[in-house]
Amino acid sequence: MSRRSYKAALLAAAVVLLVFVSFFQKALNRERSDPQLGLTRGVGLGSNAPPVLAFTTVALGGFRGLIANALWIRANDLQQDGKYFEMVQLADWITKMEPTLTQVWLVQAWNMAYNISVKFPNPYDRWRWVQRGIELLRDDGLRYNPREALMYRELAWFFQHKMGQNLDDAHMIYKQEWAKEMQAVLGSGRPDYKELLNPTTEDAKHRVEKLKNQYKMDPARMKQVDDQLGPLEWRLPEAHAIYWASVGLSESKKSELITLRRVIYQSMHMMVLRGRLLSVEPLRFGPDLAKAEQANAAYEQMIRDDTEQKDAIKRAHRNYLKELVFLLYSHNRMADAGRWFKYVRETYPGSIPEPNLDDYALKRITGEMTGMTYDRTKTIINGLLSQSLLSLAADEDDRATGFELFARRLWSNYADSTKGQERRLGMPQIEEMKRTLVNDFLNPTNGLPPEAAARLRTKLGLAAPGPNAQK
Amino acid sequence: MNRLFAIAKLTWKAAFRFRLFWVMAGLLLLCVVALPLLLKDDGSARGFTQILLTYTLSVITVLLGFSTLWLACGTLARDIEEAQMQVVAVKPVARWQIWLGKWLGLFALNAALLAVAGTSVYVLIQYRAKRLPPEQQQVLRNEIFVARGSLKPHAPNIEENAEALFQEAVKKNNVPPEEFEKLRGQLRERVTAYEQIVPPGYRREWIVDFGLRAKLLRDQPLFLRTKFFAAQTNASGTYLGLWQAGNSQTGVPVPLSLAADTFHELQIGPNRFDADGKLRISFINRNETALLFPIDEGIEVLYREGGFGFNFVRGLMVILCWLGLIAAVGLAAASFLSFPVAAFFSASLLVMGLSSGTLSTVVAEGSVLGLNHETGAGGGGLLDAIVVPCFKALLRIVMLVEQFSPVDSLSTGRSISGGQLLRAFAQIVLLLGGFFAAIGIFTFNRRELATAQGNS
Repeated sequence: MSRRSYKAALLAAAVVLLVFVSFFQKALNRERSDPQLGLTRGVGLGSNAPPVLAFTTVALGGFRGLIANALWIRANDLQQDGKYFEMVQLADWITKMEPTLTQVWLVQAWNMAYNISVKFPNPYDRWRWVQRGIELLRDDGLRYNPREALMYRELAWFFQHKMGQNLDDAHMIYKQEWAKEMQAVLGSGRPDYKELLNPTTEDAKHRVEKLKNQYKMDPARMKQVDDQLGPLEWRLPEAHAIYWASVGLSESKKSELITLRRVIYQSMHMMVLRGRLLSVEPLRFGPDLAKAEQANAAYEQMIRDDTEQKDAIKRAHRNYLKELVFLLYSHNRMADAGRWFKYVRETYPGSIPEPNLDDYALKRITGEMTGMTYDRTKTIINGLLSQSLLSLAADEDDRATGFELFARRLWSNYADSTKGQERRLGMPQIEEMKRTLVNDFLNPTNGLPPEAAARLRTKLGLAAPGPNAQK
Repeated sequence: MNRLFAIAKLTWKAAFRFRLFWVMAGLLLLCVVALPLLLKDDGSARGFTQILLTYTLSVITVLLGFSTLWLACGTLARDIEEAQMQVVAVKPVARWQIWLGKWLGLFALNAALLAVAGTSVYVLIQYRAKRLPPEQQQVLRNEIFVARGSLKPHAPNIEENAEALFQEAVKKNNVPPEEFEKLRGQLRERVTAYEQIVPPGYRREWIVDFGLRAKLLRDQPLFLRTKFFAAQTNASGTYLGLWQAGNSQTGVPVPLSLAADTFHELQIGPNRFDADGKLRISFINRNETALLFPIDEGIEVLYREGGFGFNFVRGLMVILCWLGLIAAVGLAAASFLSFPVAAFFSASLLVMGLSSGTLSTVVAEGSVLGLNHETGAGGGGLLDAIVVPCFKALLRIVMLVEQFSPVDSLSTGRSISGGQLLRAFAQIVLLLGGFFAAIGIFTFNRRELATAQGNS
């Protein structure tokens, strides 16, 4: 046999053997995953583990820990030196070495989203790292640990806290970028679930694919969450915190569920405070008082469902109701405020000592009335009137009325308490204080921008400025 | 010399005969092509280029390092074991020429393979960079595809300043002599703190003297590399400061909120120097806590010193120096050991060299068994007394090699100067390589070649 044909024969033999061995593959895999003796016992990676993960968890055996340690050390050293470009890769390797250890995923994701992101002065650089943290948990962590409540909680927390709260200097960029991404997939306003569940056009199919593949969200589940707790504003991070916590509640093992419940009611609470997206560019949002009922229902549901920490949820519920009353009052929703005031006093007796709604609301804004000095009172009244005028200029009439109501109520309270001492402690008339502020706001040199000033002028019924007004 | 080259040529021929050259070239090219597909980056063009440079060059170094070790041990030990060396040894070639010729052959082989792999890495990253948007290309040109030198502010003389304060204190107060050392220590701490700390609301200025370089850097952007620590952490983790590079005519204060405990690289616009080539960096602390800028790494200004191409070549040459040392270690081991033992011995030496982290921890703590954190004393006793000095000596030797980090420099756009390259060659190849060569040649000279036949 010539050398060439010998090689060809060897190659053919290799192919035949490869085909032959593939018939045994299933049986081999079954034996490998045998719960008693199989090589992959204890590594519950599910059937979707990629080959590289199967390799690291099975072939490396006990050496995985050593390699993971070396990678942790390298990651730590690089981080100390301010070199972050390898972090995504190292996190990927470290988590693949220990794919079923929840804490490994949590620490790596947290490190990227929290520790590394803030090292960058540029907000868009920070946003990239927050995304990497979210992706690590959402795309990989949940894939291998679909029943770990802490994994869902952490993912939801990134939305609720990192993006939703204002502790990070770049939080507005996070919110805006996320809103843009979601708007591109779901459109502005309410998602069209009919289209999402049964996409007919190419564009709709593409968007649903993106929603499922990139954001790992299921339209049917979204609708379910929206029906149960919504309507949610999906362009804001709180909706996604609620979504992932809800998925976690239904998919996780029955432990640590309180952490997921907390995310839901806290995010619902936040949706009431600022769950209405007014515009994406520039990013503007405001309170969504229409969600008050749903948020309350969420709290009540969580209290009913939870068996371990009912009291903690009740405390949070009580605080929510107290804040809601004040919020409604400050937005001039007197009837609603009165209804919730009654509800909180009945549900949590003794939680509000003030006898009536006015006193309660006033106390919320001023603190204890005793010890209110002239200067402090005047400053607060000026502040409330300013807020009222700015709300008018922003076309938020209810809010403006609420603030003015506060100012007038505080003024008359102060006047009552200083009766007989007007010469020494008398406050200027409220109309006079308001006029001064209006003049300041309408000052063409350093007042409000022309558009807002014109709106304020219209709302107050003032004449347009003369032609000599300075630009 | 001809004899040396003849032996080197034989080594080359062997490498080709065993298809080692082609296998290695194929493997190296495969890693250059495959790695970009496998790596996960941070999502930025800069990050991707950095990780690509780091990982491709590291994998190339590791692959070549192991193959060199293997080949170095094999080429000599197996020649002796299989009695082929006897055929060469009877020729008019001195033993040292055989040894050095083999080393030269391996060195040249590595140079060729490194050139192939290096060229492909260079072409790959340039090709990828060309496909990026112009602003990203500019970022790469400024921060990665460049050889940046660095200058720091003139370091204060802490000892001198502390001594002056000490003399003054001793003159003014009646300090008992037994308190002198304690007072000196306190004053040293005070001077160090004064040089490093910026209290809330205070301003600090650093001056970096560029001298004549300033003229060469006309219209070139500079980069301020800074790091600070905060006395008290805050909720956001970032600290607001007003930064100004240049004097009141050339620079404007810029408010920046930066994180503590990490390095930041901030671009400085061009032409901010004073007339005498000095660059003034000022910082106003706008926080409620004091910030500490370490003297050694608090402030550093990076400037363009040269292009990426030559820097890349210099980086590869430092790697070649490492490979030259590995070849010397392998040949030295094979001079007196059989192939498997020599390979094991050399690999162990390499691992020990790579454990410099452990060595430096032991040396820093002064104990093998670790410190008692309550007493601050080491727990090793006699063991420490013997091992720590040994580790100290070892660490100094290892640092002769490890102080050069070409991959790191290339991926962060830092310059590898000609001087550094020469020093690397002197320390790694001439000094350490020479040491192993001396051992190798000495033992090879004294080795009875015929007795090795029984081993084969």
